This record gives sequence, C-alpha cells and structure tokens, in this order.
Amino acid sequence: MLAIAANGSTVWAIVGAVAACAVVIIAASIGLAIIGGKAAEAIARQPEAGGRIFLAMVVAAAMIEGFTFFALLICFMTVFWMRS
Amino acid sequence: MRSGFLSCVLADFNPFLPIESRPVFTFSVGRWEVAISNHIIMVTVAMLLLVTVLPLAAMSRRQIPKGLGNLIELVCEFLREQLARPILRDRTDRYIGFVWTAFFFVLTLNLLGMVPTEQIIFLLTGKETHIGGPATANIWVTGAMAVVAFFMIHIYGIKEQGLWGYIVNFAPPVPWWLKPLMYFLEIISSFVRPFTLAIRLFANIVAGHMVLATFLGLIVVFKNYQAAVASVAGVVAISFIELLVAFLQAYVFTLLSTLYIGLSTAPEH
Repeated sequence: MLAIAANGSTVWAIVGAVAACAVVIIAASIGLAIIGGKAAEAIARQPEAGGRIFLAMVVAAAMIEGFTFFALLICFMTVFWMRS
Repeated sequence: MRSGFLSCVLADFNPFLPIESRPVFTFSVGRWEVAISNHIIMVTVAMLLLVTVLPLAAMSRRQIPKGLGNLIELVCEFLREQLARPILRDRTDRYIGFVWTAFFFVLTLNLLGMVPTEQIIFLLTGKETHIGGPATANIWVTGAMAVVAFFMIHIYGIKEQGLWGYIVNFAPPVPWWLKPLMYFLEIISSFVRPFTLAIRLFANIVAGHMVLATFLGLIVVFKNYQAAVASVAGVVAISFIELLVAFLQAYVFTLLSTLYIGLSTAPEH
C-alpha cells in the first residue's frame, strides 16, 4: 500500500474517503435513532408535552445532521481532490 | 436541453450544475470587472421582497390581523415567545429585531432556492439562462450571514456589559491559573460557532439540492419513461423534505444565534 501511495495512485485515498462516509452515516443514524426513541418514550410518558418534545427532537436532529453533512462534505471534497 | 428524448428533460447529469453560482452579467467599475452571479441576484430579490412585503403586511392597524399580516404576526409571535423569551428573558425586545431578520432572511433564501426558475424560463421562452439558484447553497452567502451573526453577538455583548465588563466576563469564573486557558478556549469557540452556523446551513441546502439533481439525472442515465415517472415521484417526495429542511434550518440558525446572543449578553455568573 505504501508503494502504491508513493507511486501517486489515489485509489486508496478514494476508498478511504468513501469508507469514512459510511462510518459517518452509521454514527449519525445511531445518534438520530437514539434521539427518536427517547422522544417517543418521553411522549408516551407525558402526551400533553408532545409538542415541545417533538420540537426538541427536531432541533437536536438538525444539529446532528449539521455536523454529519460537514463530515460528508470533507469526504466528498477528498474524492474530488483526488480525481482532479 | 439537448436533442431527441433528452430535449424534454429539464435535468442534467451533473448534480453540481443547479447549485453552482455562475456569472450572469458583468460590468466594470473603473479598473475592476464586477461579475454579478445568480446568487447575488437571488439575495437581492430576497432583500427586495422582504423589504417591501413585510412592512406592507405589518402596517395594518387592525386589532385582529387578516391575511398575510396574520401569517407574519404568527411567525413573529412564535419566534418571540417560544424561541427568544425562554433564552433572553428580559432582554428579548432589544434583540428581537435581529432574530426576526435572521429567520425571515434565511427562510426566504431557502424557499426561493426551491423555485426552479431556470427550468420555468426555459419552458416559457426556450432560452437557457442561469438566473435562479439556491443562494444559501453558496458558502460565501452563508458565511456572510455567519459573519453578521458574529459581529452582532459581540456588539450586543459589548452594548450590554460595556467593553471592559464584556472582556472580564468573557471567560467563566475559574481559578486565576486557569484563566488564560479559558480565554483561549472561549476565543476559539467564538470563531468556531458562527463557522458551524454557516457550514450547517450550507451543507444542508447543498445536500438537498444535490439529491434532487441526482434523482433527475437518473432520467438522463436510463433514458426511458418508467425511469422518468419514478424519478419525478422521488423528486416530489424529497421536495417535501426539502421544504421542511428550509424551515428547520432557518429555525436552527435563528435559535443558535439567539442562544449565542443570550450567552454573550448575560453570561452565567
């Protein structure tokens, strides 16, 4: 692998970037699933607070998606740097 | 925009095409060439829309407003009571102007980005122009909004506590030997937070529009009508999510700006 890297082949860089994409997506999915599950449990415990819990869940989901897209952008840019 | 089957396809294989900012016309000022891009035009359109529509709708002196004024009052009241009041408490009315401006501006830019102006112009006139595009899909536009938020956070903090008071209260109260580290961390975070505001909005809108463009690009790949039907159905479904994301990202931008303003104007003692 080091020989290939020294030759300037960028295939493994692209493989690494795409694998990083996959890890980021898995981590974000787990985080969002935890938030969704906890929100559902909280609403089940206290249905009259449903609106506020839904709002908190949606805001937390937006924040997590924020830095997920940040990491995805970096992976994406790596692929395009390697191809150009 | 090509011949044969593809001439009635308003899509392109390249998903970056609807998101890029392209120069629409240039004019020269002295020695410099100023290029006006489609995103500049969208920002100007959003500004003119908000500057004319919002005061007109809010100008009615009715006790119970009707029509567009009612909708804008609903949104403003929600932002003031549910978003700003729990965070800013007594200082709400001083900083609510910035909160409302941020929310309406980001929302208008996001929603104008969902309108396919280039395709509509092509359908009506047959000419390819690159007039419209999602302005928030440009890192410079969201970066400019984040810079404005950065300055407003510090200016409001200095107005509220005075310059010396603001600097003294910048770091939380810790023993004297930890103070330099806390100042260092607080300065870094005061730069990183607006940066994340810009990146979050930019990445969400870019990702959404690229997914839409990729779905439409599948028509160019498969080149038959079944793919077109499935593709357009998928685009309709994802457009609903994109509308939700437009509102949500405007709300998150405003929420975080309000939070940072609250932190800078009255740090926890």
